[in-house]
Amino acid sequence: MQNATQWGVLLLPLLAALDVATGATAGDNAATFGVDQTAPGIFVHIGKPVALDAPGHDDIANIGFVTGKRCIAVIDTGGSVKIGRELRAAIRQHSSLPVCYVITTHGHVDHVLGNAAFKDDGAHFVGHAMLPDALMRSRDLFLRDYAEDLDAPATPAQIIGPDETVPIGNEMTLDLGGRTLTLRAWPKAHTDSDLTVYDSQTHTLWTGDLLFIRRTPVLDGSVKGWLAAIDSLARMDARHVIPGHGPPTDKPAEALEPERRYLQLLLTAVHAQIARGDSLQQALREPDPPEKANWLLWDEAHRHNVARVYQELEWE
Amino acid sequence: MICMRRGASPGAAARQPKSPALFLSGFLLALPLLALGDSQQTPTIGVWPTLRPHFYGTRSISEEGDALMNVEAPGSTPDPSATPVTIHFGEGLAATLKQVRVIIDNNPSPLVATFDMSPTLPVDQIDLRVRIDRFTSVRAIAETTDGHLEMRSTWVNASGGCSTPPSASSGGTLGEIRFRPSAGGKVLQVSIRHPNNSGFQIDPRTGDAIAPHFISHITLRAGEKTVLAADTGISISENPTLRIAARTPLPAPLTVEATDVPTQARYTATWNP
Repeated sequence: MQNATQWGVLLLPLLAALDVATGATAGDNAATFGVDQTAPGIFVHIGKPVALDAPGHDDIANIGFVTGKRCIAVIDTGGSVKIGRELRAAIRQHSSLPVCYVITTHGHVDHVLGNAAFKDDGAHFVGHAMLPDALMRSRDLFLRDYAEDLDAPATPAQIIGPDETVPIGNEMTLDLGGRTLTLRAWPKAHTDSDLTVYDSQTHTLWTGDLLFIRRTPVLDGSVKGWLAAIDSLARMDARHVIPGHGPPTDKPAEALEPERRYLQLLLTAVHAQIARGDSLQQALREPDPPEKANWLLWDEAHRHNVARVYQELEWE
Repeated sequence: MICMRRGASPGAAARQPKSPALFLSGFLLALPLLALGDSQQTPTIGVWPTLRPHFYGTRSISEEGDALMNVEAPGSTPDPSATPVTIHFGEGLAATLKQVRVIIDNNPSPLVATFDMSPTLPVDQIDLRVRIDRFTSVRAIAETTDGHLEMRSTWVNASGGCSTPPSASSGGTLGEIRFRPSAGGKVLQVSIRHPNNSGFQIDPRTGDAIAPHFISHITLRAGEKTVLAADTGISISENPTLRIAARTPLPAPLTVEATDVPTQARYTATWNP
């Protein structure tokens, strides 16, 4: 079981890479969409490590579901209604229980656009208290630039936010029947709407994008808040961790370390640039540090992060 | 993961510039198509042909030579809500500048800023941070005291102003002004804490547009003498930032005065190193 899981984790990104190499499009997902059971009742579909403008861009986040005795909670739904439907079909292969909750870990496109696939299931949509704001802010962008990932014609009604929210710094428990999930809403970190999901039965922690493994972390919230969140995550009693991007792991402390190192490096470097009077333009021109070698899709994220950190620090 | 993407529409590949020359030919070829295209997804030809006669009539505008003047911006902006734009002026130009205009062709409000310059403060570099709404040309036009015009431009790829949340430093004291000098007093960054609401942003709670509220005018004075005056608009980012550089130490003390609309509130501070 353990071995099978690890192979699955290793193989999926390879298959994803093959998809890209052979020019396969999102239309081929039906053949490859799979879920791994990383612990009893915990099912994960591993997102592909491809760019946000590459084929398969709607299938880059880790998404999945947790089964109780009474019902099922979905955790993130992918970057298109189509991926949401693939997930829904995968759920039906494992269980006939109803979906009672659709949990969104934050408002980024690759985690939330599949929500519409679950709109007729009578489920509650649950998210961070700031998630409605984040989705409203992104609404026009989603409708314009991600229309192809929604059902035609793309309508605002397909962008589904939470009907139940967790206040910042608070927790909420969801009862699935014999299994309780604990949701926690974080202060500004990766974004301003980060939510984690913890299953005490298997000690599984879904971090959402508070944890990136291998894929370069993307900062849209606060670098200082994120580093603080990493410290808190490291103290949680998690034996299995499902990151927002990258392979699930049974070694949370080790898995958090590269991300902590990267964000700390970013913070230190930009702090020094501001201190010596560099402009934002100069900060963005800085050559890549050797740290680049440790991450995938660096160019998609790093300079964005520099710009965000610069603006965070310059008013301190 | 991130809301921004480079090449958002199906036709994106055709407009990804490999090199400026290659891109330009592709762009020109695509023009008839663009005219019919969906304005939401297709880069339009831009507002410059319309603005040019308005501001400069039929006067000739030189566009040759990077040493005399150039415009720098990231080819693909890492943060569409705050894209740095740097305008460099060569030695032959800095001392004779009368006015500098910055225009972002495809923004909803293309005129970013108009700077009235003074020989008292021969600036050889101006830095701004701007909102880039979509794939666009960013251009600066300099007019010298003897009426000569120079224009340089650069392309910036962006998508949608993005949904990036307000920066982690949003809020604070409205109108607070910060000075960040460097290079032995030859460079000064002036930042004004202000939302600079464009009127195009959506209030997440109501779904309605947020009323425009932005810095419309910034002046720099040395003593009684105005050494730089700028009319600014909604293409300037949140917390408007102006950075100027000169070959010699800047005059000091230097007083900054900013005005916003629609409140006409005045914010002022003096840099006295």
